[in-house]
Amino acid sequence: MVKRVALVSIVLTLSLTAGCADPPTQQIQEAEKALKEAQESGAATYSAEEYAKLEGTLAAMRKEVSDQEGKFGLFRDYGKAQQLSASAKAESDRIKTASVQKKEEAKAAALQAQQVAEEAVRATQDLVAKAPVGKDRAAVEAIKNDVEGLKSLLKQVQASIDKEDFPAAQTQAKAIHDMSQAVSTEIQNALAKVGKGKPGRRK
Amino acid sequence: MGSDHIHRVLAALLCTSFLVGCVQAVPPDLVAAVEAIDQDLIALRAPETAPEEYRQFVRQWALLKARAQLDDDVIRWPWESSDLESDLRWLYVMGERTVSQLHDRQVSQQTVMQAKVTRLEEQIRNIAARVEAIDGRILLGEKGVQAGLLVKQARSFLDQKDYTRAMQIAEKADHALKAQASLLNQELGRYADDSRITYWQTLAKQTIDWSRLHQATAIVVSKAERELSLYQSGRKVVSYSVRLGFNGMLEKQFQGDGATPEGRYHVTDRRGRGQTQFYRALALDYPNGEDRRRFQHAKRSGKIAQSKAIGGQIEIHGADNERLAQTLGCIMLDNPNMAALYERVPVGTPVTIVGALTKQNAVAAALAQLDRGKEEI
Repeated sequence: MVKRVALVSIVLTLSLTAGCADPPTQQIQEAEKALKEAQESGAATYSAEEYAKLEGTLAAMRKEVSDQEGKFGLFRDYGKAQQLSASAKAESDRIKTASVQKKEEAKAAALQAQQVAEEAVRATQDLVAKAPVGKDRAAVEAIKNDVEGLKSLLKQVQASIDKEDFPAAQTQAKAIHDMSQAVSTEIQNALAKVGKGKPGRRK
Repeated sequence: MGSDHIHRVLAALLCTSFLVGCVQAVPPDLVAAVEAIDQDLIALRAPETAPEEYRQFVRQWALLKARAQLDDDVIRWPWESSDLESDLRWLYVMGERTVSQLHDRQVSQQTVMQAKVTRLEEQIRNIAARVEAIDGRILLGEKGVQAGLLVKQARSFLDQKDYTRAMQIAEKADHALKAQASLLNQELGRYADDSRITYWQTLAKQTIDWSRLHQATAIVVSKAERELSLYQSGRKVVSYSVRLGFNGMLEKQFQGDGATPEGRYHVTDRRGRGQTQFYRALALDYPNGEDRRRFQHAKRSGKIAQSKAIGGQIEIHGADNERLAQTLGCIMLDNPNMAALYERVPVGTPVTIVGALTKQNAVAAALAQLDRGKEEI
């Protein structure tokens, strides 16, 4: 009788132990790591919607793990958590790739805008060199002053690019380009008024 | 047999009714409705413009979706209440409210920003016109283009519906415009200073009195009005409009600053055809003793770099026929006016150059308008 009771206890213990599932720690860690990498790639900025959803999936995964851990060992099932972590990992990798690409595109657009702005400022500078000092010395000096200002503003575009604030860099470059063109138009109007001739001497 | 058959039929009916009565834990149309809320939030650019609100919604949505996908949540008995369904309905209501709030917020932000950026654009146009009128553009240095850049940037962000950044940049533009007005006030405020104007009026009056007393010719130049007046025996006989140095409204401090000097001078030389590149010229005795004292003091106090020179060769002159290369502080007249003046002005004629002769001068008026504009920003 004692033997039978002991046997039943052993079988019960074994079955309980065998029935206890372990959380998919490694998969969870991989999913968390992938999320961090996605975040570091700029996903919160460049894939904001998908990144927010990814965070939601991770939160659901953590909740699922926590719910299962709260259950009696025999009834724990981490299948859903595994599924969520696998899906989060795959999604993180996809978002990371997409974000890197979008960031590169934003950078390329900012660099392109910067180049266009620099060329516009250079062209304006060349035009200033040809500008007649003429009767409107004050106007020409004012134009030169503005061109110097525009040259200085180009540094702000570079600073925004260095900070990886590409939207700011792009809007700054566009503004500089527009302002350079306005200054060029002003010089051309001045040139049209006084005609061509040798550049003025500096005292 | 009869009783067994009845029992079987009853059991079958019971099972069928149970099976038919089983309902899905989550009504598909509710899921679709929450999906639609998500799409509305994305359309409103909530992930970018209201990340916290969107994160909260998405987090709940992901949790509920995960629950919905769990097998034991898939079906329930009709009389069972469903927490999941209640939670989804709550999320739907909350999401709908967030969409409505975001929409209202964006409409309001757009209206506010549109008005603000438009006002800034008007403001910068007005300032530019006023600054141009008083030759203050050079005075502003980079501040002028810096403010222009910020206003344009604010417009770009507004066009992109990025109201947060548009607002940030517009605030910076506000400051830049105020800084412009302050700088102009600092540099040109003396044109609105009653005591300074009284001093200038006294200088001019003394010159006119001298002309009357000595029955002689005298010249008074008002920089703000850009006007040269010729007096004979204390009576104004003619006035000509003039151009000044490229930074003419400032008080001359050193060589090359483009400013036109202020003070009492005399014609020291008359330069006719072939003696000047500017048609005709009346050379002045700048720098005089007072100019030298002021210059040395400014150097000693560090206001002027040690390397700077005081400058000279300030003249009243005409325009070069081809082009005028050096108006770095002189007073320039059109050639016909210069010819007439040249004929009437002998060497030794006193020439008094002042900032302004009236309190309502052009520079003071422009500064007052800028001040009013500053308050409107």
